Amino acid sequence: MRGRPGLVTAYQRDMAIFPTNTQRVWFAAFALVMALLTFVLSDDLALRGASAAAAAVGAIGLNLVTGWAGQISLGHAFFLGIGAYTAAALGGETGGPLIGLGLEMWIWLPAAGLVAAVAGIVVAPIATRLRGLYLAFVTLGLVFIGEHIFREWDSLTGGIGVGRSAPKPILFGYDLSREGSFLGFTLSAEQQYLLFALVVLLVMGFLAKNLVRGRVGRAFSAIRDRDVAAEIMGINLARHKLIAFAISSFYAGIAGALLWTFVGFIEPRSFSLTLSIVYIAMILIGGAASIMGSIMGAVFITFLPRIVDLLSGYVPFIEDSPTGGFLTVSQVEQILFGLLIVVFLIVEPLGLYGIWIRIRNYWKAWPFSY
Amino acid sequence: MTTTAERPRSDTPSLAFTSMTAWLRDIAHSEPERIGLREKEFGIWQETTYAEYWELVETAGMALRALGVEPDDKVAIHSENRLAWVVSDLAIQGIQAVSVGLYSTNPAPEVEYLLGHSESKVLIAEDQEQVDKALAVRDKLPQLQKIIYVEPRGVSTYDDPMLLSWEDFLELGRRELAANPNRFDTLVDGIDPVTTATIVYTSGTTGPPKGAMLSHSNLVWTAAEARSVIASGEMPDEIELLSYLPLCHVFGRLYDLAYGLAARATVNFAESVDTVVSDLQEIQPTYFPAPPRIWEKMAAGAQVRMAHASLTKKLMYGAFLKAGMWNADRILERGSRGSVGEAVHRIGWVFVYRSLQRKIGMSQCRQAVSGSAPIAPEVLKFFMALGVPIVEGWGMTETTALGTINQLDRIKLGTIGEPLEGCEIQIADDGEILARHPAVFMGYFKNPAATAEAINPEGWLHTGDVGEWDDNHIRIIDRKKDIIITAGGKNISPSEIENRLKVSPFIKEAMVIGDRRRFVSALIGIEFDVAANWAQRRNITFTTYRDLSEKPELIELIGKQVAATNAEFARVEQIKEFRLLPKELDHDQGELTATQKIKRGVLEEQFSEIIEEMYS
Repeated sequence: MRGRPGLVTAYQRDMAIFPTNTQRVWFAAFALVMALLTFVLSDDLALRGASAAAAAVGAIGLNLVTGWAGQISLGHAFFLGIGAYTAAALGGETGGPLIGLGLEMWIWLPAAGLVAAVAGIVVAPIATRLRGLYLAFVTLGLVFIGEHIFREWDSLTGGIGVGRSAPKPILFGYDLSREGSFLGFTLSAEQQYLLFALVVLLVMGFLAKNLVRGRVGRAFSAIRDRDVAAEIMGINLARHKLIAFAISSFYAGIAGALLWTFVGFIEPRSFSLTLSIVYIAMILIGGAASIMGSIMGAVFITFLPRIVDLLSGYVPFIEDSPTGGFLTVSQVEQILFGLLIVVFLIVEPLGLYGIWIRIRNYWKAWPFSY
Repeated sequence: MTTTAERPRSDTPSLAFTSMTAWLRDIAHSEPERIGLREKEFGIWQETTYAEYWELVETAGMALRALGVEPDDKVAIHSENRLAWVVSDLAIQGIQAVSVGLYSTNPAPEVEYLLGHSESKVLIAEDQEQVDKALAVRDKLPQLQKIIYVEPRGVSTYDDPMLLSWEDFLELGRRELAANPNRFDTLVDGIDPVTTATIVYTSGTTGPPKGAMLSHSNLVWTAAEARSVIASGEMPDEIELLSYLPLCHVFGRLYDLAYGLAARATVNFAESVDTVVSDLQEIQPTYFPAPPRIWEKMAAGAQVRMAHASLTKKLMYGAFLKAGMWNADRILERGSRGSVGEAVHRIGWVFVYRSLQRKIGMSQCRQAVSGSAPIAPEVLKFFMALGVPIVEGWGMTETTALGTINQLDRIKLGTIGEPLEGCEIQIADDGEILARHPAVFMGYFKNPAATAEAINPEGWLHTGDVGEWDDNHIRIIDRKKDIIITAGGKNISPSEIENRLKVSPFIKEAMVIGDRRRFVSALIGIEFDVAANWAQRRNITFTTYRDLSEKPELIELIGKQVAATNAEFARVEQIKEFRLLPKELDHDQGELTATQKIKRGVLEEQFSEIIEEMYS
């Protein structure tokens, strides 16, 4: 059946992640290039890359519940926080004033996801009763409750202005935060973070892809498009909303644990409404209901400060000192951030992924236009 | 048996097998796992191996025996192309009975005529629509005993002892087969190759259809011949065919059944006539035969979509189409592109041809054929320019669709090619093409007078086509009875002018008139989709086909196409007047044959007022 991509003789092929060998080869090549990049990137860029990959995991999680299942959640920061603090508590140093069990990464990383998932399950029943704006509001409340807890629970978080250090990323005795050698190359901590984050993203990305192309994912889409119709088709709304929240929170937990490990320090005020909005922006700019879109959005938003930094060198009225000039870098960043959301919603509702789709369709339809 | 000996046969060619059913058995035994058929169900192409194919044929054959079908009995099949069609056909032929195919578009009166004339004992009907047609006329069909329906939807609620579902039919066969495991094999072994295997009714552009009797040897010889002719040596091991030409037409039967078996191909059944375009894209057939209508439609579709493409794409396409046309001319002049032409073609392949071939489903095509009616050379050249190896061939029901074909390295546009090996072709003094070869039919069923008229005592078939030699190629002028003699005494071939008109994407049907008239005129039917699209883009409002046909802007547009056609013909052949048809022509109303050919007599009568108006 060579040269006949349309000749589908089994549903397995119809639903395949890579319907043709060409796509498989391209993906493998892309993954290889990314892996090779980790060996040559500067520490600064590698750390940003690692953060982007971890943020992408979180964005995929939010996309599952909001993009696919259509349940608007402003509470993503809360789940990220739970992940970060679970990791800190399990992986933190023992004997100090703060809770810390000194466990290894292979325990605290999945545990961070699981604890967040449990929190998600607790929240989910609310989602089965509320829809749209009301659900958004309730999840908003979640962020405030979370912020309050993180602020007050000193023995866990260290309290406002103090904070606590992130868990040590030790995997089977190997400390990722120390310079190490790999295949004869010397890798800095940042480069090791990037490599590890990419592996996690790869695994989590494929898991999510499998979820959304299967029965559960189709149920999510049905609920998003019309919950009443979905229920008539025999989809158990309560169950699937529960699954959506649980899995989404699991992804957020993992992302939170990784992100703050890379930063090295956790400050309780980080998990505010702004953080939730940043994640919403990632999936809107990247593309709702798309794994690739989530990744693109996360990378774009994470690298936005770098892009603005670069701009400041060329655009006269942007200054990188905090006081001088017409606009500071961080002001431009804020403005761009807001502007991008507005522009994308109006011009390209499918996000960066939508642009990619359009480019692809241009070549797919070649030499026709439709 | 009256059906076997209406024509004395001096020579029986040496045959690989005595029947197509025996040929299938051979494949099922030597390559049981090879995929024989594919049928699309719920979006997936479901596969049937040759072993399963043979088992189905055996089962269906025994079921027919259980229903009392004896050798030489007739069994009719009234269905679109599908697995049940080919299985039934081979089962019927296997038990030495005779299969008769009906077009799914045949209305009830024609069903009555065909079932009655063929004396069919059993009818295999596709669905409720076809069952209803048969039930409506069964009072006049005393010999019809059983109707088997394939699609139960709607029919399963009918309470009629005459009806039997396909599943129950196969169950009956399974029981019969278990009781007599070797009976079917014995029947297949006992087939006399010079007895009738199938009756193919001609489309009948004039008068009622005639039933051409084809023997087992006709079919087997044709199959072997087709295999040796089609891109000989170039074919890959796995050949994909798309079955969409009606199987009851000889063209479809030859390629999908006979050639399909001979080449051990996989036959994919199109979902319906309307989905051929998307089915083509999915299947990308290795070999693709089509009538001019399909090629015209494909070319028009590509051109219309191209017209809406962005500027870059248009420029790219325009440049490489020009290069392709230049290459097509080289192929026509010297048989191949040559090294420079090949280099140009490769570049074009990367930029335009490859993706365009994919869009029209021709990317894997090793050979494409246009047949069953004359095609305008411009259309052929368009596909040659895109790198599709397309040629024109000629054959007819009475020759089991075999006759002449253009060889890929010796194409002469406007001709039907050279006689096939083993086919003798002659041109009589009056210009009529005569043919003699082992696939010439046995005679018309129950019509010895017509048979005697068609086949002379030396075995030459009078084809009814008038033609002339062009070196080794043959150029067809027209059907003998269609040639127009104007009042001025000039002979004109209407189909040549009509085909040139139909090159325009806006024109679907054309009928040139002028017999015993002062000048030549034409009735033209527009291609509604294309014309509607054109009108919308110009903000011309319209409601129906008729309304659109009456718009002055559209008449002016068609006038331009007519003028372009006129420029290529001599003065006496030029169309002086034309009118647009007020309705779309239809098989149901008797204006077209089942193969979409116009019935001139019917049209002349139906639109006599319009015609007279042109000449007044």
